[in-house]
Amino acid sequence: MRSMQKNAINGLDEILFVEIPEGSVILVTGAEGTLKSGLAFSMMANHVAANDEHALYVTLEQNSESHLRNMNSLGIKKGSNLHIFDYRDMRYEWMNSELDLIKMTEEVIDSYKDKYEDLTLFALDSLNALYSISEHDNMRNIIYDFFSHLRDKGLISFLIMESDRSSISGQFSQFHQTEHYLADGTIELGMIEGKGGVKRYIQILKMRATKHAMEKHQLTIDENGISIRGPIY
Amino acid sequence: MNTSVENVPDLCESQEDCCKKFVDRIIKTNREIFIMLSLLEKQMCGYDIIKEIFSRCDVFLSQGTVYPILYTLEEEGMLHAEYSKGDMRSKKYSLTPRGREAAEKDVEDFAKALEQVSFLVKR
Repeated sequence: MRSMQKNAINGLDEILFVEIPEGSVILVTGAEGTLKSGLAFSMMANHVAANDEHALYVTLEQNSESHLRNMNSLGIKKGSNLHIFDYRDMRYEWMNSELDLIKMTEEVIDSYKDKYEDLTLFALDSLNALYSISEHDNMRNIIYDFFSHLRDKGLISFLIMESDRSSISGQFSQFHQTEHYLADGTIELGMIEGKGGVKRYIQILKMRATKHAMEKHQLTIDENGISIRGPIY
Repeated sequence: MNTSVENVPDLCESQEDCCKKFVDRIIKTNREIFIMLSLLEKQMCGYDIIKEIFSRCDVFLSQGTVYPILYTLEEEGMLHAEYSKGDMRSKKYSLTPRGREAAEKDVEDFAKALEQVSFLVKR
């Protein structure tokens, strides 16, 4: 059984005490600018480089070139086993056709899985963008089937989702509760203001079948990429 | 062996409804070969390739299966991609020398395999 190592980024073992099992669907949530894409991409890049496996990063928000530029600016390097797929060409060439992008995404995954049997990681950037350009009456059923597809393929999947929690109730907005309920894990990224100024944090809210820390930990970025430091209080 | 795309219609035009499901399956399973075969004569974008295979073989390869193949073949150095003059949004693909060599070899092997299967089922 394949799993994701708890040292996929520097300091991840501070918050994740065992490996993430295959078939896990993990939401990476937070407000804009909290490094959601960078965290997912960094974990995938490091994992496939260390394990000689393949990973697929599907971006709906940007094209491959601009995504790579952003990642390079964060000090994150893409290895040859990390594949980026964007919908720019497809959407332009088929602009007069109705494309079911959820079905398309499943086909894209299947196609890469056919090509690379050892494709173990997948990321979608972002669920919000997928929803905004998909028209389905019953989104709950569709998303249930999509999550099932990811699990059936044995992938560890990171689904990036811009989502804020209420500071009063601690709950995610009702619009996104289905995803949180269906997902195996939720990693929240955010910013917190303290005595030392504004700091980025990472917190694992949920991770089925794993032991993990509950506290918010500091997330830092420098020329060597993303790192997780000690707890923030 | 002639690996021109002109061979494809002969295979496909003669199909009857009863064998269509097999042709459909063969082309979909071996879509990488058919995509490269389409590019043997001219450069094309993903849209053109899907249309070409559909018009010649009556098989629709969905966008979600064709574009990943184009991207991975480009990563592997089998295809060269460039944007059309005056249109920076339409990416045209052509075979690199390495890609052409691989495509011609694959088509030849594929045709031999089909002959062998045909011989086996007719025995």
